[in-house]
Amino acid sequence: METTETAVAPRKQSRGRPRILAHTGLIIFGLLMLYPLIWMLSSSFKPTPEIFSQPGLLSENYTARNYGEGWTALNQPFTRYLLNSAIVVGGSVIGNLVACSLAAYAFARLEFRFKKMWFAIMLGSIMLPIHVVIVPQYIMFSEIGWLNTYWPLIVPKLLATDAFFVFLMVQFIRALPRELDEAALIDGCGHFGIFWRVIIPLSMPAIATTAIFTFIWTWNDFFQQLIFLTDPEMYTVPVALRTFVDATSQTPWGPVFAMSIVSLAPVFGFFLAGQRYLVRGIATTGLK
Amino acid sequence: MLTGRNNPRSRRTRQAVLAAAVTGALTLTACGGGSSAGDDGDVALRFSWWGSDERHAMTQELIDMFEEENPGITIEGEFTGWDDYWDRLATNVAGRNTPDVMQHEARYVREYADRGALADLGEFLGDTIDTDQLDESVASAGEIDGSTYAIPTGINAYTLVVDNDLFAEAGVEVPDDETWTWDDLISTAVEVSENTPNNVFGIQNFGFVDAHFEVFARQRGESMFTPEGDLGFSDETLAEWWNLIVDSRDQGAEPRPSLTVETQAGGIDQSLLATNRGAAGFWWTNEFPTLVSNSGHDLDMLRFPGESENPGMFLKPAMFWSVSSQSEHPEEAAKFVDFLLNSPEAAELQLSDRGLPVNVELREQVVADLEPADQLAADFLEEITPDLSEPPALPPQGAGEIQTIMQQLTEQVLFDQISVDQAVERFKSEVSAAVG
Amino acid sequence: MRDTEAPAVVSGSRGDDGDPGQPPARDAAKSDGRSRRAERKNRQQRTGNRGVPYLFLAPWFAGLFLITIGPMTASAFLSFTDYSLLAAPEWSGLDNYERMVDDPRFYTSLKVTFLYVGISVPLQLAFALGLALILDRGIRGLSFYRSAFYLPSLLGSSVAIAVLWRQMFGTNGLVNQALAFLGVENAPGWVSDPDTALGTIILLNVWTFGAPMVIFLAGLRQIPHSYYEAAALDGAGRYRKFLSITLPLLSPIIFFNLVLQTINAFQSFTQAFVVSGGTGGPADSTLFYTLYLYQRGFGNFDMGYASALAWVLLMIVAALTAINFLASRFWVFYGDD
Repeated sequence: METTETAVAPRKQSRGRPRILAHTGLIIFGLLMLYPLIWMLSSSFKPTPEIFSQPGLLSENYTARNYGEGWTALNQPFTRYLLNSAIVVGGSVIGNLVACSLAAYAFARLEFRFKKMWFAIMLGSIMLPIHVVIVPQYIMFSEIGWLNTYWPLIVPKLLATDAFFVFLMVQFIRALPRELDEAALIDGCGHFGIFWRVIIPLSMPAIATTAIFTFIWTWNDFFQQLIFLTDPEMYTVPVALRTFVDATSQTPWGPVFAMSIVSLAPVFGFFLAGQRYLVRGIATTGLK
Repeated sequence: MLTGRNNPRSRRTRQAVLAAAVTGALTLTACGGGSSAGDDGDVALRFSWWGSDERHAMTQELIDMFEEENPGITIEGEFTGWDDYWDRLATNVAGRNTPDVMQHEARYVREYADRGALADLGEFLGDTIDTDQLDESVASAGEIDGSTYAIPTGINAYTLVVDNDLFAEAGVEVPDDETWTWDDLISTAVEVSENTPNNVFGIQNFGFVDAHFEVFARQRGESMFTPEGDLGFSDETLAEWWNLIVDSRDQGAEPRPSLTVETQAGGIDQSLLATNRGAAGFWWTNEFPTLVSNSGHDLDMLRFPGESENPGMFLKPAMFWSVSSQSEHPEEAAKFVDFLLNSPEAAELQLSDRGLPVNVELREQVVADLEPADQLAADFLEEITPDLSEPPALPPQGAGEIQTIMQQLTEQVLFDQISVDQAVERFKSEVSAAVG
Repeated sequence: MRDTEAPAVVSGSRGDDGDPGQPPARDAAKSDGRSRRAERKNRQQRTGNRGVPYLFLAPWFAGLFLITIGPMTASAFLSFTDYSLLAAPEWSGLDNYERMVDDPRFYTSLKVTFLYVGISVPLQLAFALGLALILDRGIRGLSFYRSAFYLPSLLGSSVAIAVLWRQMFGTNGLVNQALAFLGVENAPGWVSDPDTALGTIILLNVWTFGAPMVIFLAGLRQIPHSYYEAAALDGAGRYRKFLSITLPLLSPIIFFNLVLQTINAFQSFTQAFVVSGGTGGPADSTLFYTLYLYQRGFGNFDMGYASALAWVLLMIVAALTAINFLASRFWVFYGDD
């Protein structure tokens, strides 16, 4: 169940001078790439006027005040928005895990009519721009009174509309040996049993990847949350952040950066903890 | 042997998941909009408005005050910034979820009234809603075909705010606002720009607000819309308007276009006047106090240029109060509107935030309590009122888009992406499409 | 080379190496493939019914019809109506499409979007490939660099980063401060000048090259050493090796990244929305197609028109993807000859 990294021997180290050159170049470039993030982090701890007057990274007046101010700057304390995002993300992760794994099992292990056609449709739906369906979805959800609730954001995940993860899991399951399936069959398990006791435990890496990606993508999602959540109390973190910037008064950059850091922190955390899965997940789907 | 599906373990899991889902569902729906029945049979109203943080805080106090005086009624306030307000209101109305009492605006009243979303307050006028003291010149601004769908909250006018200190620094005299022309405005502004440091300008660009053009057109006997809802201005007038703006840019009366765009995006707090980078700008009278407190300079209000022959300025109903046609408690909603319009205590809290009170008696009372800056605004309004003309009729539906259209076309003109004539054509076609 | 997920346990799983356990009572244990398949099918039939797959697929089917196909059909219908949410839809025939043909902002949004895709996707992929090649040469600390370059792509689509970007490229923003430090005074406000505003968003997309880079890295890993060694023996230099070995063998992945990033770029919304404050400005220079759609549908509540715009977007994306696939025949080398 290991990734491509074990399949081929690592490259030989290149020698001497070019390596130092490469390292220096990479470090400089890496720092350049990450500088905006580092700067934002540092600015979030500086008093707002100083952010622009002294835009360097270092400061003498480090303060955590921006975090306090930013937390309470909008209608609701920021905790509310974090909670809202957590609800949406939690529901989405559960939805994706349950629905996508079920569908993936069917595509990978079961036979049924027109399977190839449905598979192609599933793949095609990955590329469908959401904008084609968002207007009718909005109308539909409005009619059933789901506007300004979290259902329009969660229910589609419960119905496996994130076909990307179905695909990811299908690829994964296909590579699992069927012997274990067959052993379970002998033991008298039905398909659900095989699914639950054999496939799922073995698919933990794919499940982890799905969970992490769903978390990150949903946490950052803006468009759908902007459209379906109309009441400021229901706003999730991205929508709340944007309200910060487009209010009719001056943008308080210190608190804005502070809250930006707060909003990016979970993503960063998952990134650190789940790097392996992220990288593996991307690589896996890239190589059909 | 039990097959996997009937396995007790998986059944239990499924039950647990189901239970969690149901609980989740209950919590989530509870987080949605409010319901109409309060505790123990109280009447609960929903009330929505837009504004700044100060207005929010003050309105909350108004609500508390009303609830104290009317123990059987509770009011749930919903507020957002201007940008999001109309999106939300439209969604609410479509979802049959309209707030009972709404803050409204001239450009949108017609649209909502035509869709049947607003209640006809006629039955309450003179009764639950006391109309004796309401300023007659504007009280009927919310009337369409004899039905009253909205009542003005207060009055406002557009004015040219000038920074006396900056004028003095430039050594330029503030022109006589009763006789000056638009060309005078430009040349004065150019003078100020030239005689002040590099980052200070004579005037902030004025092509982003459709109301400015309304005044300009009215000075020429035209208007944005006719009472029937057709376009009411000529190509020449609009072209003249935009050519003025091009001149202002070319001669240096205003900053370079990219700075203008940034300033606009920053709102009133980042305006040239508020940041001491500009000596003049067109603003509503009730925005004057904010400018004063931000800039710290000695500011004054002037009439629009070009008013001497054919006055184009008008008293604008700053905002309106409307009641939802779907409200389950129209009587109580009307009572609240009456409170907002006619209660002395409410007036004392609101002062001139929603315009000078439309109740003339309260207006006099309030003026005495105003902060100096607000007082100046009130005085200014009183001074110019005799010279003003009737406010324009409520514009047709879709009028809310006009400012966006104007803004976007002005930007294109400023950056030389289209010619003034092209802009005129586009404006006409886009506005027609919007209201058509 | 392509099936690479589980090299440790691979093809022996098709049941050819002797079936563990007892054969089912119904069939005698035969050893040719045909009856193995029959065995499997029988087993399947016994343990459930033909309906089992549909149970597993039920959520997905529901989603497909309720959330995807249903709304797609509805939006096709809506594109022929005049609908503002406050009243019932009114049939208007081809009006919306005719309006599109005469709508200057429609063409602007197409131009802006195509510019964005056309410039940022190749740039982004170039960086991704370039960095992948450098990192693949056996640098120590590979995973550190890979993570450092990958992080931006995780954050790049967030509102927080778009807000940061808007500030960075403002008149008094970080970039201009840095330029002032280097002696360049009075630099323009990059986000408020129509000539450069789109450039800042392009830059933002290029900044997120980490994700395709990771894919390239994985792909490069799979090119067997032996090819390079053989080429070296034949006297091929580094450049030649790149052109004749690396590129062709990597081409399926380049293709994959190209298709994916193009589709992604067409759907970009957040960056343009936040950087321009929702206006698509200045002067419509950042009016992405999706932003224009949003303005029409959810700003003006012109839902009929927005639906028409959405379908045109779908057609464009489908056409481009099809072109990509067709063109791929000429330059993508699948290696199974």
